[in-house]
Amino acid sequence: MKAAQPQSKFGPRFKAGLTGWLFIAIAVLMICAFYFYPMIQALILSFQTGTGSNLKFNGIDNYARLFTDDMFLTAVKNTFIYLIFQVPLMVVLALFISVLLNNPRLRFKGFFRTAIFLPCITSLVAYSVVFKYLFSSDGLVNALLLKLHLIGAPIEWIADPFWAKVTIIIAITWRWTGYNMIFYLSGLQNIDNSIYEAARIDGASAIRQFFSITIPMLKPIILFTSITSTIGTLQLFDEVVNITKGGPGNATTSISQYIYNLSFKYSADFGYAATVSYSIVIMIIILAFIQFRVAGDRNE
Amino acid sequence: MKKMMFLLLATVFMLSACSSNSGSGASSDPAKKEITVWAWDPNFNIAALNLAKERYMAKHPDVKINIVENAQADIVQKLNTGLNSGTTKGLPNIVLIEDYRSQNFLQAYPDAFRDMSDSIKGTDFADYKAGPTSYNGKQYGVPFDSGVTGMYVRTDYLKEAGYTPEDMQDIDWDKFIEIGKAVKAKTGKDMLTQDPNDLGLIRAMIQSAGSWYLKEDGKTPNIAGNAALKEAMENYKAMFDANIVKTNSDWSQFLAAFNSGAVASVPTGNWITPSIKAEASQSGKWAVVPFPKLKDTPNSVHASNIGGSSWYVMNVDGQDTAADFMKETFGSDKELYQDMLNKIGIIGTLKSASSGSAYDKADEFFGGQKIYADFAKWTTEVPNVNYGLHTYAIEDIMTVEVQNYLAGKDIDSVLNDVQAQAEAQLK
Repeated sequence: MKAAQPQSKFGPRFKAGLTGWLFIAIAVLMICAFYFYPMIQALILSFQTGTGSNLKFNGIDNYARLFTDDMFLTAVKNTFIYLIFQVPLMVVLALFISVLLNNPRLRFKGFFRTAIFLPCITSLVAYSVVFKYLFSSDGLVNALLLKLHLIGAPIEWIADPFWAKVTIIIAITWRWTGYNMIFYLSGLQNIDNSIYEAARIDGASAIRQFFSITIPMLKPIILFTSITSTIGTLQLFDEVVNITKGGPGNATTSISQYIYNLSFKYSADFGYAATVSYSIVIMIIILAFIQFRVAGDRNE
Repeated sequence: MKKMMFLLLATVFMLSACSSNSGSGASSDPAKKEITVWAWDPNFNIAALNLAKERYMAKHPDVKINIVENAQADIVQKLNTGLNSGTTKGLPNIVLIEDYRSQNFLQAYPDAFRDMSDSIKGTDFADYKAGPTSYNGKQYGVPFDSGVTGMYVRTDYLKEAGYTPEDMQDIDWDKFIEIGKAVKAKTGKDMLTQDPNDLGLIRAMIQSAGSWYLKEDGKTPNIAGNAALKEAMENYKAMFDANIVKTNSDWSQFLAAFNSGAVASVPTGNWITPSIKAEASQSGKWAVVPFPKLKDTPNSVHASNIGGSSWYVMNVDGQDTAADFMKETFGSDKELYQDMLNKIGIIGTLKSASSGSAYDKADEFFGGQKIYADFAKWTTEVPNVNYGLHTYAIEDIMTVEVQNYLAGKDIDSVLNDVQAQAEAQLK
């Protein structure tokens, strides 16, 4: 009987929807307060200039300044060097290790997986400090290379602009390869073994199987890891600050470190620092878009 | 359903309550009896604070003083974020700020610091402290650590090379390099150690001639055509070219270089004394000679400053108590300064406290030299410069170009390039 008379325009469907919204209301409010509100504030801040709290609007001047700011351009260049060399290196390495560790005949699998995953649960600062000492001019790495007669004189890992970049790349590769490997391992375990069986019956070699089955099947995961790694590298901060302090000169300064310098090391220019932050956002959007275009499936 | 609605409203209310709190929290109680002080370096600044606290509490048992140790970078970061957010909650009553950075804070947050003119007189302190600690004619900071420079030398290495500390009295950097070459030839030791990312030595050289990276206004870059800076950089390069510099890449390597006996001299601020003396086996082998001067820059003197710092009282609850604490201790207490020198080796900048038994003490570590009397004398000679707002921003530009210069780039184009970059960046 009740159903016969339409009570109000708020029907049961609407009510069900409202209940759903109420369940997530707290989360939504929190996200708005702690994610979106700061983001919008930062965007507004990026159009202002001045030191400390003496801020005034100056239109798009901050964004125009980006293109004439040598130190920003150096930071962008450094960060992209890390990106271009480190992300592919790490993705390939993680893929390679995960395929080896997925071998059903491998013994002590748990041990190897843990060992390779362990670096990414160590503290960023702690491992950076350890790397700094390993790679100092009289550190363990040089001592080892000298002992093996691979080099004649110690390499200035930290003090030379080229080797300092190499040191940073080695450090972040060590830290994050295990993290990406875990994604590939879980992906590999989702590939049906019968596909490999069929391939073996057809006489496909291990290498052929890797390139024709494993890689295509892992494509979404490769895309995912390369995008997260790209984002991570663009936000690189701890390693650079703790290993090289951005030096020698500005040879290893990253964009995030430049944001920190603008805010705290120089003269508290929060407006321009926010502009540089938004430049990272724009770069990430563009890079993710390109990666989706290159690697993404058309039907997605 | 109603419960849900209630929950939602409650959440909204709570969130809005959280965010509106900060505006109304200005219940002002300038005479609050509990104050908090932030500083860095437990062996130096914190130790000095503890001495001051002891003496003040003996007279004012009702006041509670909390001393909190933070790294300098953390203090800078917390102050900036705190002041910028508009809430003074969580900020201390007194904070130590490095002289190179003080104008940043005074100009960026003009209402955040208490004008101390009613408690201390700026002219009671070493003249060169006036630049960093005052703004718009008002005295904000209580000048503290002098940061006066000296040249620490190993007398045993000098002797091997045929020199004595007397040969290093009142010399210029050319002579310093000449002696350095002799030391290297005879002992195989480098004359000094330098971190290529830290241009402190160049800063000290130009201040010895009353010059700085910025013009008098503290904003306009003063690089191209700065004769003192040009000469300082030429000296710096000459040291590297003479192969008498051991490079280091951080503080611990810097300390290790002289504690291990690898270098023959340390040109830096007097705050390094405790670190030099930390290696007890080298007792009697060190001396302190005047800082060398620039040969071709006429007004260069044998005294400079590197990395001194001063106290600042903040405009928060308890400011009157904090100001009184500063006035009675670092602002006037001569015995406190004797104590600080005796127990910690701190050389303050209060003029009336720059003599006394502690200064006349012969230090056996330095072969019986009265080094504190010497430092106190040099403190009065340091030229006053305006560090302005951009010391570290310019230095980051400089470090890159100094590397290019060391690699062979022409000095004038180096200076012009730094000038151009600084002008483009410091808006």
